[in-house]
Amino acid sequence: MKQYANWWYGGVISLLLVTVVIALMAGTVWLGPQQLSVALNDHGSQAFVTIFSLRLPRILSSLICGGSLAVAGALFQAVFRNPIADPSILGISSAADFFKLGGAMLLPWLPGRAWLMALLGGFVALVVLTSGRALADPYRLIIVGVALDATFVGLQQLLSSGATQVSHSTFNGSTWLDATTLLVLGVIGLFVALLLAPWANYLKLTDAALKNVGVPVKVIRWSLLLLGMYLATSVTAVVGAIPFVGIVVPNVARRLVGHDYQTVMPFSMLAGAWLMLAADTLGRTIIVPSEISAATMMAVIGGPFVIILLQRGRGLHGMSTR
Amino acid sequence: MECQHVSYQYPHQAAGITDVTGTFPAGQVTTVIGPNGAGKSTVLRLLARQLPVAAGQITLAGKSLGQYTTKELAQQVAMVAQRHQLYDDMTVGEIVGTGRLPYHSLLQTVPAEEVAPYLATTGLTQLVDEHIQNLSGGQQQRVWLAAALAQEPAVLLLDEPTTYLDVHYQQKLMQQLRQLATTGITVIQVLHDINQAFRFSDWLWLIRKGQLVTQGRPDDLRQADLLAQTFQTPIEIVSVPRLGPYIVQVPGD
Repeated sequence: MKQYANWWYGGVISLLLVTVVIALMAGTVWLGPQQLSVALNDHGSQAFVTIFSLRLPRILSSLICGGSLAVAGALFQAVFRNPIADPSILGISSAADFFKLGGAMLLPWLPGRAWLMALLGGFVALVVLTSGRALADPYRLIIVGVALDATFVGLQQLLSSGATQVSHSTFNGSTWLDATTLLVLGVIGLFVALLLAPWANYLKLTDAALKNVGVPVKVIRWSLLLLGMYLATSVTAVVGAIPFVGIVVPNVARRLVGHDYQTVMPFSMLAGAWLMLAADTLGRTIIVPSEISAATMMAVIGGPFVIILLQRGRGLHGMSTR
Repeated sequence: MECQHVSYQYPHQAAGITDVTGTFPAGQVTTVIGPNGAGKSTVLRLLARQLPVAAGQITLAGKSLGQYTTKELAQQVAMVAQRHQLYDDMTVGEIVGTGRLPYHSLLQTVPAEEVAPYLATTGLTQLVDEHIQNLSGGQQQRVWLAAALAQEPAVLLLDEPTTYLDVHYQQKLMQQLRQLATTGITVIQVLHDINQAFRFSDWLWLIRKGQLVTQGRPDDLRQADLLAQTFQTPIEIVSVPRLGPYIVQVPGD
């Protein structure tokens, strides 16, 4: 853990609390602190309806989504041993999105359809990513991922021309059902991720080195992969594909709190939640009464970040020691 | 540790080893020497079970290597590779801690106090929180050695451990390995430097073209003809004051 890690933890928690309060106040109708307290006491007021029916579920949804995507990114980076691996860049989110749409068209009667189909899509993408030589070559992995992403986005566009339900990847219109679904799925996944964080640390060693110390590499690799996939596709199932959170947050986390995944994971969870909420709040307030989707906001923030990371960082290959 | 008629063939390659039978005396330093591509590293990887034995068997304490579970084997055999790859930053303490994994369940974390003795024996206590890439080659080598020792192995395998070390650290490492052997650890290493091998080993394996030419005590194997035949190069043994017999390669035809 880095020297100032505790300060950064304090910082991100404070930032999170402040942003939640701002997100409660900001919107088409601005609610000041006084109106906020009135709304909390008067359950019949319009302000109460705005906060509890519109803003609170939206805030909760974006917090869970941000935390889930950031932790999913950290998990993928550990497993693929690649600092820019992330469910969006590897095509897992768009595969989940495509399968979700396909499910809506072909299996409308299926209970829990969106989630099950998104999981299936994510799994298909994982199989493609892990079956060839991509695992051994970080650049090949990213290129395969980008191709996979483009393929599924294209397929989705093909399909959506005849579909009634198209994914928008926005928190606009988030209901309490969305929020509670995300909360249940997210909390389970995030809890398991924090529990398994030491496994992500083990994967900093080569497979041969891990076998030498008796670690079942395949078990830990697939457990973490499936967990990351579960977290990312749960978000896609409810909200849609949101890019770059999983790249930006864990990479910043490593800079601030060090490289130990037992610190990186919880920090990413908090910072991811904050980033998603901040992006969504900004997106829905800067051009009131219209709004910019969270996915667009993240693309604008995340794209340049990845470029800087690759142009100035140490690249995708690991480091050699003697 | 023993090899009985052990063979291994790499897929699509000529290299491998054929019908190797030999012993690695317990509590002694055995060095495997031979020309490039002779199969030295293959022997080491077979002993670590990184490669599957195609024919014959390797036994450890009278039990076939294949009968050990991964975890049991990790408690018996540790390997220091020639070159280590890391995919992300790790501190000295974290790396040495991985050596304790064979003694813990997957969900347990290794307590710091468990790592301390191995840091102390390798002189790394002060560097516990240092990132490994900030260390010198010699210090890094010690970190990986400490991680292997943390496995409390009966057999310690080292693949060309002196490659990235200067003369001073090479000597220190060789002496440390001899010291470890006196504590009962069976040390098996691959070395390129023949003189170092003869000087610091109790037992030698001479390998050529995937076959064991011979094995024995250094004093018995220090024969110019035998070495010339193994390495396919003219060799003479000269006497160096204060050092004794020294193997030199001489200009040939």
